[in-house]
Amino acid sequence: MNPNQSDRFAFPELTRRGFLRAGLAAAAGTAMVPAGFALAPRPDRLTRHVVLVAFAGGVRTRETLGMPANVPNLAAMAKEGVAYYRTKTSNLGHFGATMSLFTGISEARGIRENARGGDPTLFEYLRKDLGLPATDVWISTSGGAQQTNYSHGLHQDYGAEYGANVLDGDGIFNREFKSILDSWGRPKQMDPHELELMHRMRASVGGETESSKESESRATVERYILDELTRGTSDVRGANAADAKAMRVARNLLSIFKPKLTSVVLQNADAAHGSYNQYSEIIRMNDAAIGELWQVIKGDPVLAETTSIFVLPEFGRDSDLNSRRGLDHGDGSDDLNYVSTVCWGPDFRRGIESNETVRTIDVCSTICELFGARARFARGKRLPQLFS
Amino acid sequence: MTNAWTQGVGEQGEQELVRPLSTRWLRGIFIDLLARPPFQREREQWAGKTVPELIDALLLQTEFWEEWLQAQLYYFLLVDNFRPESESILRLPGELREGKSDIPEALLRIALCASFDRRNPGADTFVTVVMEQFLGIEVQKNTRQLEIGKHVYDGGRGNFLGVMGSSQADVVRIAIDDERTMIRFVEREYERLMSAPMPGRAARSFADELRQDERSFAQILREWLLSENYSQSFETRTELPNRVFARSLFVDLFDRLPNTEEVRRLRSALDGLGDPGPLRSALVRIMLDSGKVELPTREEIEHPRRWIEESFLRYLGRQPTAEESAVFREAFRDPACRPETVVYALLTHPEYASR
Repeated sequence: MNPNQSDRFAFPELTRRGFLRAGLAAAAGTAMVPAGFALAPRPDRLTRHVVLVAFAGGVRTRETLGMPANVPNLAAMAKEGVAYYRTKTSNLGHFGATMSLFTGISEARGIRENARGGDPTLFEYLRKDLGLPATDVWISTSGGAQQTNYSHGLHQDYGAEYGANVLDGDGIFNREFKSILDSWGRPKQMDPHELELMHRMRASVGGETESSKESESRATVERYILDELTRGTSDVRGANAADAKAMRVARNLLSIFKPKLTSVVLQNADAAHGSYNQYSEIIRMNDAAIGELWQVIKGDPVLAETTSIFVLPEFGRDSDLNSRRGLDHGDGSDDLNYVSTVCWGPDFRRGIESNETVRTIDVCSTICELFGARARFARGKRLPQLFS
Repeated sequence: MTNAWTQGVGEQGEQELVRPLSTRWLRGIFIDLLARPPFQREREQWAGKTVPELIDALLLQTEFWEEWLQAQLYYFLLVDNFRPESESILRLPGELREGKSDIPEALLRIALCASFDRRNPGADTFVTVVMEQFLGIEVQKNTRQLEIGKHVYDGGRGNFLGVMGSSQADVVRIAIDDERTMIRFVEREYERLMSAPMPGRAARSFADELRQDERSFAQILREWLLSENYSQSFETRTELPNRVFARSLFVDLFDRLPNTEEVRRLRSALDGLGDPGPLRSALVRIMLDSGKVELPTREEIEHPRRWIEESFLRYLGRQPTAEESAVFREAFRDPACRPETVVYALLTHPEYASR
């Protein structure tokens, strides 16, 4: 910290104590959920936290579990968990196919469509059924504006009220944005009385009310963003910089907030269109980042015995190289339509290599069941042979 | 045009708008057409003028076409690393303003620029995006046309959408010439400006006018903006896109626009959040506390009621209600309430982040 700035820092560092305060406030908000509305976590399950990594951008099994040396961490995770080698998917475009992971419904979406879907997402099912605050459900993305649409759908029974916090690491945590903020300096600490006056004035505008739960949740996210900007994520560079930031943000979120669900959406592997070599390198780097995330979980006394991980791409890629010595995704081959899914966690069997055909959309229902929630509109099923 | 959708357009509708511009309309029209609120000098310049006068003046500005182009590039997600920098694209706003280019030509240049190709690499992605984004076709239901388009993209001869072609450029030309492209364009532009889908089947006739060069897009826009439907759009609140929010914040706090890099970075950061509210709020605080915003001190504010009213007008484009005024005045009597506190309350309210 720059000593000259010390008196201008607006927000205390997000410490565990600070987080607990936020958590207590959030819990108070949760208590407002009508009695009997929130479902209790399943007592027969050890899992209390889930990390779902959409190893997206189009990644074939050939370069992952088909070539263990390329992905030593994923391969090790598979050995300690369950690997599905025939996970059926559809080429719905990156956006649509990744969204299908979260909704449990295969639905076509435009490749560049920048709008929310009509179906509820995994995040909404969990938040609504379990009465979770927003700080318990996060998505860390790498693909920019379009991917923020994953936070929630437009279904009348769910929607924004139950959406996830979405952070695109590359969009927010980059040197240029940080330098703009630095040029203005940090906001002053607002004393509680002034803050209360500000809230009173804001609440009077338009006769609208913001619940204390919403207000606290927004303030917590605001604090987190400003703190994360000082942690070095903005300085990450390289071919997989966006993915690396998404993984790093997820790692920090997991350490600080210990959310019930942390999702990561990767995207850089799509460089494959122009270069097979770069694609392979990005897979290796992303595997290393998954390994680091795994170690953080294993080394955390709270997370180690209570966290489950799911890793899968949204779809694969073509069987053959294109004229640029890259790989597109549109040939309808098994390399495109079947990917691998790896599941690891305290409730799962170990060392299972399954060739049974499952579907990428099964992940949504499986995670919901793990928590005791119900994916009412999802069309997937619970993954077979998974639970021990 | 006398379609049902334009009820109120024409002499009667226009007469209603020949009243002096309200602050709300002034702010709203500026935001809709220039993606920013008016500067101080423009607020003074347009006081007492009418809606048609303002619309006519703004549609003649190159800034309008620059913002129109930005909206198109955002629609095609040609942003950040994929933003076009070629001369043919950068020239478009000036050419469109002067009538040297038209909408089909602009769309053609966007689809043929190198950034569009880099953004949509490979036959499958490129043809899919052209079909979806330009023509509004769901490719999963038109896989045969997709396969033909891919073949044409790769240099093979094929009948794509009913027209023979044999190159990537042919894929684009055939798509732009297809009547569905202009219909889709009219529909999405109407929705962008009017915050509601175009009713009925009016899109086709507007699209025909554009394709056949019977009327310019600016003339069509004028008709939309003078319609009852546009008036009604002021009755509902529409959240500002992040880019517009960032530009508005600069104009409202610094009375200047952010430079290209500033707005790009701020938009990109705000776009990185499912709910940009917390970051918008942080930006407001950071700017207000930067010492670079010219606000009066508490001591300089002799008439708090008037200053609060002026703040509502400036930032929300309306007078405060009696209740709002009372709450703000009461709060401001407290020595802990700084002028920045008042502005912070207004600029972090959802009403400020919408139009």
